[in-house]
Amino acid sequence: MPVRLGAAEDTLIAQLNSVGATAEAERMTVAGLPTRRVESYHYTDLKTLLKAVPPLAEAANTASAPALRVAGAYQLMIANGVVQSSTTAPAGVIVGKAEGSALTSRDDVLVHLNGALARESLSLTLESSVDPVIQIDRRIEGAAAHVADSVKIFVADNASAVILETFSGSDAAHVGNHATYLAVGKNAVVTHITVDLSERPVTHFATNEYQLAEGARLRTLTIHAGAGLSRSQVFARFAGEGAHGDFTGLNLVADGQHNDITIDIRHGVAHTTSQEMYKQIARGQSKAVFQGKIVVERDAQKVDAKMMMQGLMLSDTAEILSKPELEIYADDVVCGHGSTCGELDESSMFYLMSRGITKAEAETMLVRGFIAEVLDPIEDEALNEALNGIVDGWLLGK
Amino acid sequence: MTTPILEIRNLHARIEDREILKGVNLIIPPGEVHAVMGRNGSGKSTLSYVLAGKEDYEITEGEVLLDGENLLEMDPSERASAGLFLAFQYPIEIPGVATMTFLKAAMNAQRKARGEAEMTTPDFMRAVKTAGTELNIDTEMLKRPLNVGFSGGEKKRAEVLQMALLQPKMCILDETDSGLDIDALQVVSKGVNALRAANRSMLVITHYQRLLNHIVPDVVHVFSDGRIVESGDKDLALKLEAKGYADFDGAAA
Repeated sequence: MPVRLGAAEDTLIAQLNSVGATAEAERMTVAGLPTRRVESYHYTDLKTLLKAVPPLAEAANTASAPALRVAGAYQLMIANGVVQSSTTAPAGVIVGKAEGSALTSRDDVLVHLNGALARESLSLTLESSVDPVIQIDRRIEGAAAHVADSVKIFVADNASAVILETFSGSDAAHVGNHATYLAVGKNAVVTHITVDLSERPVTHFATNEYQLAEGARLRTLTIHAGAGLSRSQVFARFAGEGAHGDFTGLNLVADGQHNDITIDIRHGVAHTTSQEMYKQIARGQSKAVFQGKIVVERDAQKVDAKMMMQGLMLSDTAEILSKPELEIYADDVVCGHGSTCGELDESSMFYLMSRGITKAEAETMLVRGFIAEVLDPIEDEALNEALNGIVDGWLLGK
Repeated sequence: MTTPILEIRNLHARIEDREILKGVNLIIPPGEVHAVMGRNGSGKSTLSYVLAGKEDYEITEGEVLLDGENLLEMDPSERASAGLFLAFQYPIEIPGVATMTFLKAAMNAQRKARGEAEMTTPDFMRAVKTAGTELNIDTEMLKRPLNVGFSGGEKKRAEVLQMALLQPKMCILDETDSGLDIDALQVVSKGVNALRAANRSMLVITHYQRLLNHIVPDVVHVFSDGRIVESGDKDLALKLEAKGYADFDGAAA
């Protein structure tokens, strides 16, 4: 029997039908948006949280100010789902477009919706090591709009790159459903950072899918510092031996916000390693969610994976939720997970203040200290500074 | 008469329902070094925390003046900017905050509070280098997170380095000798002695006389059950060492 549908679901069904995605429309009609009974949406009940979906976006004709500028970066832009023409690409970078979504199909509502609604993908091929930071500036402009956009990145064997994706736009009740597919070639070294800097009325969904070939090294960093409701999903698959991934994130949640980072890391082959380190800071009346799953498949012996979530509560009314899961089918692996949550340490505050540092500055120092191990590995100086600036801005109450 | 650097009048403080300071009276004129000795649990460390402004304590009576200013009305950072410095018995480890960053933040915060301009980086580096050399502290150590993984001696030397950089009017040294071997004790004491000045006073809290061979006090106070029960010159410390505290506070050791 079909579930009862709300306004958001009705709109989504109409939008899916309008682009001819009848199968997806049918799926939405039967299942509706996920509720807390769907395990992977347990803490982020979309049926309750997503009250309305605005009309599908039209091409943007206004632009807000860039949310983040990184000195020396090569910039690309997608506005309202449309890939914008760009300046000359640096050596080793091939920029193009592909039809439809870049994501591999999987049983997830955001992936289904992006698959049906994203018209094109920005496609990037990095043939060799790229020197400047590549920034993909993803915007939703104009009146409230529903946008499904997509990026597809191939990093060739032995290449290296730092890729930053920022999400921002006009101050309206947008729903952004963003997708990025990133394949890391053999022995390639890639850092991929996604930062949500949307305005508070925005709902931000992002799905990042990663494939790691033999010997690849990937660092990911997911930062939430914008939308009122957000969920970033990370699906990573280790497909070649010797690959290593550092999956990190910073969930900054202020009064009235509900932000969710959900990761699913699959070690499909032997001798692959990963470290997951996620930090959540919540203040006011807010909810920060982290769900982390590591799966080690049957033949993936000698896998070493360690997951950690650390939460910092800056108010008594904040909630920090954490659900770590290990699913291990191989018998010779080292896997672990941990989760801690606390307030700013009083004796540390007293020590800093006893040296003349004001309360506000002492708090900032301790929060910076708390997140240092996530931001410090970002080596590009301008980029590191920009990311620290986001945290400082958040602390000052942006 | 010159204003004392520190003046404590009938100070009472408690933590929850337990009264720990029961009427402390103490006057420290400019340039003098006073020692407070007492057995464990007599309230010596509480006195240092109350003076520095730790929140856990409730002041029920009394007053404290720092160079004529009402200390108890200020929060810990304001007390520091007004010239108070507490060298901690157990300096706090703060991962993620580089020692150098902390030193610069502390110096500039105090300058800002006093309406002075911030220090330039070269001036700051020079000051740190000069003060560090005296205390055998190299800049490598200062790149490490604050107090994290520092040995007992390194922690205490770092405290004295902060004192040297911040140039307080009133230094409180809480059990600075704890956790130090003889060599480290000498380095630390030398650092402290170098800071003795006509316009700077010190309160040295210890329960061993040993430290006072290195930092020779002008006045020694015996602290017992939350108050000062006897005061004298430096020979009082020797008497205490020989006879124990029982003679002074009447309680069995």
